[in-house]
Amino acid sequence: MKTMKKITSLVLAGAMTASLAGGVTAQAADGKKCTIGVAFYQDSGLAVDATKAYLESLSDTLNVSFTYTVLSMTDEAVNLTTVQELISSGVDGIICTMDLGMTSIVSECEAAGVYIGGYLCDYDTSYTSAYEQVFQSDYFVGTAIDGQAPDDVTGGTTFFESLIEYNERAEEPITHVSMTIFPSWAYPSQQTLADQFVAAVEEYNETAETPITVDPLDEETDILQFTTMDSTYFSKHPDAQAIISFAAGTSFVYPTMVQSGVDLKLFTTSFEGGEEENFGSNGTQTFQQNMVTAVESITYPLVLLLNAINGVEFADQPEDAERVSCSQFCINSDEDMEIFQNSIYYTANANDAMFTAEEVLNMTAYANEEATYADLKDILSHMTIEDLQ
Amino acid sequence: MMKIIKKTGLTLLFPVLMFLVMLAITASTEKCYVNGKLIFLSYDLVRQVIINACMTVCVALAIWLQLKNGRFDFSGGATMILAAIIGGNIGMNAKSAWVALIVAVVVAVILSCFTALVYIVGRLPIIICTIGMTLLYESLTYLVFNANGIRTFYSNASVSFFGRIPGVFLPTALAVAAFVLFTYFTSAGRKGKILSNNQSAGVNIGIDEKKNIFITYIYSGIILGLAAIIYVSQNSVEPQSSLATSSIMFSYIVPVFMGTFIGMASCDVIGIIIAAIGMEILNYGLNCLNLGAGGWQQIIMGVFVLGFYAFSAQIGTIQNILNRLTHKTAKAAP
Repeated sequence: MKTMKKITSLVLAGAMTASLAGGVTAQAADGKKCTIGVAFYQDSGLAVDATKAYLESLSDTLNVSFTYTVLSMTDEAVNLTTVQELISSGVDGIICTMDLGMTSIVSECEAAGVYIGGYLCDYDTSYTSAYEQVFQSDYFVGTAIDGQAPDDVTGGTTFFESLIEYNERAEEPITHVSMTIFPSWAYPSQQTLADQFVAAVEEYNETAETPITVDPLDEETDILQFTTMDSTYFSKHPDAQAIISFAAGTSFVYPTMVQSGVDLKLFTTSFEGGEEENFGSNGTQTFQQNMVTAVESITYPLVLLLNAINGVEFADQPEDAERVSCSQFCINSDEDMEIFQNSIYYTANANDAMFTAEEVLNMTAYANEEATYADLKDILSHMTIEDLQ
Repeated sequence: MMKIIKKTGLTLLFPVLMFLVMLAITASTEKCYVNGKLIFLSYDLVRQVIINACMTVCVALAIWLQLKNGRFDFSGGATMILAAIIGGNIGMNAKSAWVALIVAVVVAVILSCFTALVYIVGRLPIIICTIGMTLLYESLTYLVFNANGIRTFYSNASVSFFGRIPGVFLPTALAVAAFVLFTYFTSAGRKGKILSNNQSAGVNIGIDEKKNIFITYIYSGIILGLAAIIYVSQNSVEPQSSLATSSIMFSYIVPVFMGTFIGMASCDVIGIIIAAIGMEILNYGLNCLNLGAGGWQQIIMGVFVLGFYAFSAQIGTIQNILNRLTHKTAKAAP
């Protein structure tokens, strides 16, 4: 009888130990239960809706709940207050979409022990003037850029390629274009994009039968001060057949085109929704290129934040946080638009996302010992229209 | 006859002067010439001035209707934006500009009546009441149509008919007609004038103040609905918060005060229309000079408006000085 009791005790103790170990393993794989605050640059719109849908689809598997807020585009103090409110609400990590007041924000996060990452922002001001306080902070995990970093720009060539592709299929090719950008102090990479575009056209013109004329960027006319383009733009570029808008053309160029009744083509960054009706061979055929960054690029700061919250990091993770360029959806044909309309960016349906929750979990260092930082970075360079197919 | 010519001349003086001044400035500026042509003198000037002036006139009339009845209504902008979102979305689904127009007007009237109801029942100061209603209506912009506002209405040629020439003339004409009808042809309009001049006296002689407020809000709702259809036909409309709609509305307020001065030669409604045209000519000229946005535009507009108000406030004194000078000259003559 005694022997029987001993055996039973041993079996039970063994079972308890095994279940405890199993529990620990399961918790390690799932990660700590945590909350991440996401501070957007606007409170509505396709990108915001799609990002929320994507994050919510990850919530259960990653054991994360998300809370959302909106930052100011002009007021540092407002942004600091917004982050303080997130911290007070008990978040463990923050994903921030704006580089305004970052030194104070990072200090605040350090004091509170809250990690912070970036999304759709190159943090160029911080990168060039507060690198130590922001990028070398233990609490800043890095950022996924909306396109390319100012020192890594290639988008100008993409615009040129879209123009050439259009000319190849159009009955009347475009031979004269003008450009628009936002001010360099806010978007330094856009001037580089314009220079790149001009250089590509000049190179093309050396051998082209029908050269393309590009109106040089006029500092006073073509730099949009975050207000809708004024109608005199068209009088100032009377020969232009298309506008190459490195600034967000749907919001800042297209309304004036419609109001003025001009029949020009528009190659632009951004996609706000509704462009598809006048895209390619549809409707007025105004839009011939839209370029946007996939909402799934938020996976980069999210995974880094989750690692940090769980106290792990990738074996190959660099010491300083990085800003990583993202490939973009360059939609420049009817076929591209059709593919894009099946992506989460357009549908806001998590089933259309590039990654499932399990795949994202597998990217973290705590759930997958073999996961690497290089692999995480690599996903950002595979978010093109071709990758959607 | 001479009186009519004089009044017409005085009324048209502001936009004509504005046109000539801007013509002189742009003509003497090299950057206003493209391929040897002065861009200020293009058809675009006419189109932009008309389109923008129509929008300005509608909002300015809605502001002035309440203001001349003694109320400064902050909720007009929110009413217009919410009506634009609802009217725009329903019109878009029905693929009809007319449906959008009717829905926008009906929604604006309902919202205006609700504001009037809260003002009357709540017995609140008008500023407190309308700021509260603004916040309420702005919050509704996030609750309707999945907080998407209305983005593509203006880019659809058939439904945005009322945002372009000639469609834009219809809502503007209706807004002017509603204003004129209320102000000059209804007893509520005349009673409103008495109430704004001396509320106690008005009530004491038997004017039903509450009824008057309600009727005024119905008319201002109609005008705001008409402004909403022009606005949504020209712009994408996003959900708004933090009194941003008041900012939208007050961006059209300058012609209200200018119009009352210019209207001294005729009537307020004509003054507002003329002031709106004059201001749009100024705006277009600044755009030609590449000063249409940013700090310099604000400075120029601010200084101009301040100068205009200062001049209009001192018009009596200026007239006296001129009279005295005329007398002296007459006496000095042999």
